[in-house]
Amino acid sequence: MNATATTAKTPLSRLALHSTATCSVQASAYGKCILATYTDVTKDVCKDEFVKFAKCLREAMGRKW
Amino acid sequence: MLRSLVRRAAISSASPSANPHTLGPFQVFDRNAKRIQKDRAALKEGSRTVDYVREEVADRLMERFLDIKRTFGTILDLGSGSGHFTKLLEPEKAQKSVMMDSSEMALRRDPDSEFEVQVERIHADEENLLQNVEPNSQEAIVSCLSLHWVNDLPGTLIQIREALQPDGLFLGAMFGGDTLFELRTALQLAEVEREGGLSPHISPMTQTNDISNLMGRAGFSLLTVDVDEVKVAYPDMWALMDDLRAMGEGNALLGHRRALRRDTLAAASAIYPALHGNEDGSVPATFQIIYMIGWKPAPSQPQPLERGTGKVPLGEVL
Repeated sequence: MNATATTAKTPLSRLALHSTATCSVQASAYGKCILATYTDVTKDVCKDEFVKFAKCLREAMGRKW
Repeated sequence: MLRSLVRRAAISSASPSANPHTLGPFQVFDRNAKRIQKDRAALKEGSRTVDYVREEVADRLMERFLDIKRTFGTILDLGSGSGHFTKLLEPEKAQKSVMMDSSEMALRRDPDSEFEVQVERIHADEENLLQNVEPNSQEAIVSCLSLHWVNDLPGTLIQIREALQPDGLFLGAMFGGDTLFELRTALQLAEVEREGGLSPHISPMTQTNDISNLMGRAGFSLLTVDVDEVKVAYPDMWALMDDLRAMGEGNALLGHRRALRRDTLAAASAIYPALHGNEDGSVPATFQIIYMIGWKPAPSQPQPLERGTGKVPLGEVL
C-alpha cells in the first residue's frame, strides 16, 4: 500500500486509496449495514454509517475533496 | 473531477434526435465515444497489461475454431481490436486474416511480426460490414468480444450472414447477461442509498437465449450456442474500474451525461466487498461469455428429413 500512497496523485486515485485503506473500518461498517438491508434499500437507510465514512474520507483527502 | 467532466463532454457526441416517427434500430451505445475510448486505451502504455480477458476468451474461442474440421484461405476477424484471436491463428488452419475494427489505434497497436499468418487491416465500423466487404464473399467470419458494443445486433448478424459464402462459418464470442453483475449491483445499491435513484453505468447485456433466437432470425443454420465465465479477482473496485477503462471498455451509453458522484463511488467501493468479496479480501468480477457458431445455409448441408418419412416408430425406441 505504501507504494500506492506515494504514487497516488490524481484526486480519484487518492480517493481510491483512502476509501480502501485509510478508512477501511468505516467502509466495512457501511458495507455491513447495506448487506443487512440490501433487499430493501431506500435513500439514507445507512446514513449514519455513511456520514462516519465520509467524514473519515474528507479528513484523509484534506482540502481536495 | 472537473477535468473528467470536460473530457466526457468532449467525447460524447450529441444524441440522435429522438423522432418517434422514424423507424430504425434502437440506439443504445455512443459508437463515436466508444471509438475514442478504444483509441485512447490502445495508445496508453498499460494497454497490453489489461489484455488478460481478451486473451483468455480468444484462446477459448480458438479451441472451438480448431474443432471445426475445415481449413480456410482467408477469414474475417470482425471487431478484432489488436488481433487477440488472429494472433493465435496458425497457417495450417487459415492462411490469412482480415482484421476489421472501428478503432484505428487498437487495430494498428501490434506489428505484423506478432502474427503467424498474413494479416490485412480494415479500419471500418463493424455496424457497416456490408459497405466494406462484398456479399457472399467470406469463407469465415470470426468476432471476439466486440459485438457487445453494437447497437443493432440483429442487423449486424444479418450482415454477417449476407457477407458469408454459402456454407460459410460464423464464430463469435461476446459478453452476455451476467457480466460485471457485482459492479452493477454495487453501483445500483450505492446510488439508491445515497441519491435515491438509479442511472445506467453498465451496458445492458444480451441474454443467452436471445442469442439463439437472434441467430435463427438472422438466417443461420446448424446453430451452437454455449456459455461460460471468466472470473477475475481484483484488490478492490477501483482497480477493476481502472482496468476496464484501460481495456477501452468504459461506459459508452447514449444519454449518459453525468459522472458518478464521489460519495456514490466511495459508497459503492464499500458495498462491493461487503456483498461479493472473497475471503482473502479481494473482490471478484465475472465476465460471462456467450459463444456462438452458425453456418450460412447451403444445399450441401445436412437437412432435416421431411415430416412423416421416419421408418422407425418412436414408441419402439423409447
